[in-house]
Amino acid sequence: MSEVESRIPLGIDREVSRRNFLKTAAWTGAAFSAMGIGGFGVAVRRAEAQSEYKTYEGLGDAAILQFAYQLELLEGTFYAEGVKAGIFKDAFLEQIVAIRDHEMAHADAIATTLGDLGADVPATPQFTFPNGAFSDAAAFLQLAATFEPVGIGAYQGAAPALESKDILAAAISIHNAECQHRCAINILNLVNPPNNLAFEEALPLEDVQAAVKPFGITG
Amino acid sequence: MENHTINVPGAQEFARPRTRRDFFKSLAVAGAGATAASMLLSREASAKTDDVDIANFALTLEYLEAEFYAMAVDSGVLSGDALGVVENLASHEAQHVTALKDLLESVDATPVEKPAFTFPEDALTSQASILDLAATLEPVGVGAYLGAAPLISSPDILSAAGSIAGVEGEHVVAVNWLLGVVPYANEAFPKALTLDEVSAAVAPFLGGKMLSTGGPRLSPEEQYRLNKAYRLGHL
Repeated sequence: MSEVESRIPLGIDREVSRRNFLKTAAWTGAAFSAMGIGGFGVAVRRAEAQSEYKTYEGLGDAAILQFAYQLELLEGTFYAEGVKAGIFKDAFLEQIVAIRDHEMAHADAIATTLGDLGADVPATPQFTFPNGAFSDAAAFLQLAATFEPVGIGAYQGAAPALESKDILAAAISIHNAECQHRCAINILNLVNPPNNLAFEEALPLEDVQAAVKPFGITG
Repeated sequence: MENHTINVPGAQEFARPRTRRDFFKSLAVAGAGATAASMLLSREASAKTDDVDIANFALTLEYLEAEFYAMAVDSGVLSGDALGVVENLASHEAQHVTALKDLLESVDATPVEKPAFTFPEDALTSQASILDLAATLEPVGVGAYLGAAPLISSPDILSAAGSIAGVEGEHVVAVNWLLGVVPYANEAFPKALTLDEVSAAVAPFLGGKMLSTGGPRLSPEEQYRLNKAYRLGHL
């Protein structure tokens, strides 16, 4: 097993993230109806609305962000190790570097927000990856293709359970970045056409927890 | 050229103070019907009304994309990877149209009619021109959904909007790939757009008119909040 336990310093612009991620705004006080609208659930089943978000309700924004932070660190560490492994070059390498930077920027922005909320930033987990995950591009990309839908599903599932509109706005942007990663990984995996989903899928909390547990996230 | 009319008030009118009478007059024009109007009478229903506006706003964007990509697939100028990608774009946008219409009808709201769109004359003459327009449209779709998301009250609609927004984000990446943009996925925080920005971006396709959300329901204060909330998506 290859084990990674340290954050990779990436020179992220912390101040930009801090300034913009969670602005105090008039919106903070805006009431957010968790009641929803009767009938929509059935109609939008094809759009994957369903009820995944209910599994995130009651956690609170801080706990959701603490979990998201660990997911981002997991992804960021994974891509950082992929870059270090020397198994990519040219456009492939550029894309993996970009995704690494995105995931770390997400983690950094979330950490800043947790600080603003007065909540603890979780310690970096001791991540564990499967044998051979970094030994060749194909193995790495296969794992990447399983990571991205977990991140997507987690954000999409959690978004309606977030109380702060500001955090929601940020989370939905990060969700979009993860969807873009999914498509980019498809391209690297030679999936053609790479845009092969009409609706992204939300995941219930327990599915996300089960998916990331083997990698060392137990929260 | 100005040969297109939309049978609903323009977005700019939404920001105008309105009397109740004006309000319902415009509603009738918009064809939203008595059901939608009566919903406005109770405070509890106002969240629903906002959601209907947003869903109709999104529907108009999806109509635009679906029509363009359907024409692109039929144009005969696409081949290879580009044809496969654009066929999927057309399919996805058509499915988004259907999902949003179903969503609106399920709450007895009236989906907006598809406007008559106008496209640049050379939009469909080559693969490059099609991809250029696709590269223009897709970030607008992403930005519109990201901007609207904080305004959505229903968790189900929010989840659906996120689901569709993510797909639009994938479209950005697929088009980047075809255009040779490396890296294909190159935004850590995809940008939200304000309502005004989205309206301005799609106005050329509506014969220069502003995009309608299907009903005149935003007070100046609401318009302000909307745009403010949209901007919060900028990270």
